Amino acid sequence: MPISEEIIVRSELRWAAISVGVVSVIMIALIYAGLVHHINPPSNIERIDPKTLHLGGEFTEANLGTRVSGDGQVTSRIVATQFTFQPRCVVLPANRRVTLRFATPDVIHGILVSGTNVNTMIVPGYVSQVHTVFTRTGDLLMPCHEYCGLGHSEMSATVRVVPPDEFKPDAEGRVACDAR
Amino acid sequence: MNDPDRLEQPWRLWASVAILSVFAFSVLFGFVLMPVMQGRAAGIDAFEAICRALGITPGSPAARQPTTNAKAQPATRVAWSADLLNSLTKATAAGESLAGSCAGCHGRDGRAVEVKLYPDLAGQSAAAIYKQLHDFKTGSRPSALMTPMVQALTEEQMVAVSAHFAAFPVRPIPAAQLPAAGAAIEGLVARGDSGRGMPACNACHGDQSGGPTEAPRLSRQSREYLAAQLRAFKTGERRNDIYSRMRSVAAPLTESEIDGLALFYASTRTY
Ligand code: HEC
Ligand code: HEC
Ligand SMILES: [Cu+2]
Repeated sequence: MPISEEIIVRSELRWAAISVGVVSVIMIALIYAGLVHHINPPSNIERIDPKTLHLGGEFTEANLGTRVSGDGQVTSRIVATQFTFQPRCVVLPANRRVTLRFATPDVIHGILVSGTNVNTMIVPGYVSQVHTVFTRTGDLLMPCHEYCGLGHSEMSATVRVVPPDEFKPDAEGRVACDAR
Repeated sequence: MNDPDRLEQPWRLWASVAILSVFAFSVLFGFVLMPVMQGRAAGIDAFEAICRALGITPGSPAARQPTTNAKAQPATRVAWSADLLNSLTKATAAGESLAGSCAGCHGRDGRAVEVKLYPDLAGQSAAAIYKQLHDFKTGSRPSALMTPMVQALTEEQMVAVSAHFAAFPVRPIPAAQLPAAGAAIEGLVARGDSGRGMPACNACHGDQSGGPTEAPRLSRQSREYLAAQLRAFKTGERRNDIYSRMRSVAAPLTESEIDGLALFYASTRTY
């Protein structure tokens, strides 16, 4: 028995409404994240050679971690590599503008800091930079959220946010997790 | 019935209106509303925010970053380039003649004359051999026997001898079977341990693992050598792995796991 045209049209409309609904929910979630959680696109492009990252300059092992420069600017430099972060834990002060800078020598990674607006891709050849202010203290989880290989699921680090009076840089301006 | 001035399907009109309004909303929202509202939080005025969203003005310029005054001490001085990786795939006559001086310990065919003392090189990845030679030479991996051996080697000679040994077949499994390593160890190899944040060994070690270029093949290397290297990574005595890739895995291993893993790899051909 042939199905009447009316039934076909009604079924089409129903499914069209469902797809429009799904797309709308996703768009609303994106807009909400952008406005309420301050998730922004990157605002600048900065290149770096992934092959020689470890050989000198900003992302050598000795220069990684949190550092306060002379003008009081707090910067944390972190390398994402298969399948770990270097360092695996960084200390940052609460209620103060901080800058996170990431680079990778191997493949595409990504990070987010749970419960905050820090969320960026880390692409070989580029420096990913995020400015933020942490308002909650405690150990925040920073997992890799971009599949980077078989060990991806174990790739995570800790961002230790401490009250400003417990944030004590040493003579060189450095603050490390195990030094506390 | 077919009036040429009338649209055949009236909904076409509404569909077009709907699509155009979605488009107009996206433009308005993406290029005006969103940038202005987000820019306010970052202290950027409305006009500047719209220009940035349209790509007319660039974003915050990259500020020069202060680097450490301490001298950079890289874990290794090896930098992988496409040319280098290419040259490592070609075995040459130069490699063969250089390999003569290694035969006393690593064997003519890359199978160590005494496995308790020297590692096998046969079937090892050329990139892994080259990386270690380079590190012995620059002092990134100090070794009483190897450091003097490689001092005289040039870059090209290190490439040649690496390609030479990599081309030999791996030593066959000995007739006398080693005891099985057990399920816990096989779990570490295949799945790692998420409780301790340890990736599986075969995420990096293995021909098709997709892990770091320089990760060596482990199977059929001697138990003694594997265990010694794992202990050296764990204690930090060996620290030539780029960005602690291997040290961070070895640090949480227990002594019995190290022995178990060494046994596992010494008695398998799979990885
Ligand atoms: C006198 C003995 C001796 C000679 C000759 C020698 N080696 Fe070695 N080699 C060793 C020892 C011992 C080690 C282990 C290093 C350690 O534990 O510090 C080693 C380690 C290595 C490694 C590291 C292997 C790994 O998997 O980590 C490579 C590569 C290597 N040798 C290549 C060579 C080459 C190429 C030559 C010849 C140019 C050579 N060796 C000559 C004794 C020797
Ligand atoms: C994140 C990737 C990664 C994981 C996971 C990993 N390794 Fe490694 N491993 C490496 C790299 C890279 C090297 C070479 C270090 C260097 O650059 O000198 C290495 C070196 C080694 C060596 C020294 C071999 C030699 O010939 O010198 C041993 C032994 C070893 N790994 C064992 C293991 C075991 C056992 C596991 C699992 C518990 C494991 N690795 C997990 C990356 C990894
Ligand atoms: Cu990753």
